[in-house]
Amino acid sequence: MAEENPMDPIHQFVIKPIVGLHPFGIDASFTNASLFMMIVALSAAALMLLGTQPRALIPNRLQSLAEMAYQFVASTVHMAGGHDGMRFFPFVFTLFLFVLFCNLIGLVPYTFSVTSQITVTAALALLVIGIVVVYGLLHNGTRFLKLFVPSGVPIALMPLLVPIEIISFLSRPVSLSVRLFANMLAGHITLKVMGGFVVSLLGAGAFSVLAPLPFAMTIVLTAFELLVAVLQAYVFAILTCVYLNDAVHPGH
Amino acid sequence: MTERGGRQDGNRQKQHEKREQEHRLDDSRERDTEGLGARLDKLSSALDSQRETGNSPDAAERRQDGVSPGSIGNAMTLAVRVLSEFVAAVIVGGGIGWGIDRAAGTTPVFLIVFVLMGAAAGFWNVYRIAMKPPDLEG
Repeated sequence: MAEENPMDPIHQFVIKPIVGLHPFGIDASFTNASLFMMIVALSAAALMLLGTQPRALIPNRLQSLAEMAYQFVASTVHMAGGHDGMRFFPFVFTLFLFVLFCNLIGLVPYTFSVTSQITVTAALALLVIGIVVVYGLLHNGTRFLKLFVPSGVPIALMPLLVPIEIISFLSRPVSLSVRLFANMLAGHITLKVMGGFVVSLLGAGAFSVLAPLPFAMTIVLTAFELLVAVLQAYVFAILTCVYLNDAVHPGH
Repeated sequence: MTERGGRQDGNRQKQHEKREQEHRLDDSRERDTEGLGARLDKLSSALDSQRETGNSPDAAERRQDGVSPGSIGNAMTLAVRVLSEFVAAVIVGGGIGWGIDRAAGTTPVFLIVFVLMGAAAGFWNVYRIAMKPPDLEG
């Protein structure tokens, strides 16, 4: 059903296996999502490798793009985490570039946007929270648990406030992954629906004079989606910094 | 003008770092990790001094953001953040309550309690976003 209707706005998110792999009964096929993840990783690596190749004093476009991304993330990490937070700079930079390239490449027609799959964003968010928990416990030991005990609160309120803090902490990976996933999913569906309106109106006789309206909307939305793509990558990176900062300096 | 100058200074610094990186290439892996730490330390202190002089390109961009078209993006991002933080806390609270109820067979008791606690945690999340220094808001 879904494959037969070319205007189905959800059709773009279907995962199709390219090479079927089923080791030990686990579906580990190489899919279109895997293909685009590899394209994203390779193009992010290519930007940094080619961009840092010339090492010119006056940078060309690629070099200044690479340097701007580097400096932008470096100052973000430094602002959120301070001096101690800088050890996470390579991780945050990698994460930022991956999410940014996923979002941007997904905007190109006929591509697949990897970040519109909640499995991908959830895996990234769990990686972040896993690092926060593991690093926090290793680096600060039991002091990390002070994260769940608000300071300056009477003991009588603790049984109520500690569960609230724990729920608040557990909601971080959920909101981190759902925000990115929902933004990308909603944006791509809106674009597709608007595009579908153009096609339907063109085929509707006299109403085809109205077709330029949704077409103009599609152009506006594309620009808007470009903004969302960059902003969501930025938000993902800055919230990663904020959460990692909790692991480095627990107790607020 | 100041923006341009700041960027070029940063570039020169980075080039210096890159050259250092080359020198370290044939060292052992342990030394390489140390080198990474040292480079990050250097980058961090460079950013510190840049921030003190207020000459960093990001600082310049951020000051403009108050009136530029970027502000609508910031406002929208903040709205989405507040919404998702709140909803996520309620969902997590509900999930925990549902799980406890399922395990203990006390059906609606813990679900109700934990949804309420989730809502409280959601408000707490939103409060924390609102109370954060303006530098960090997304």
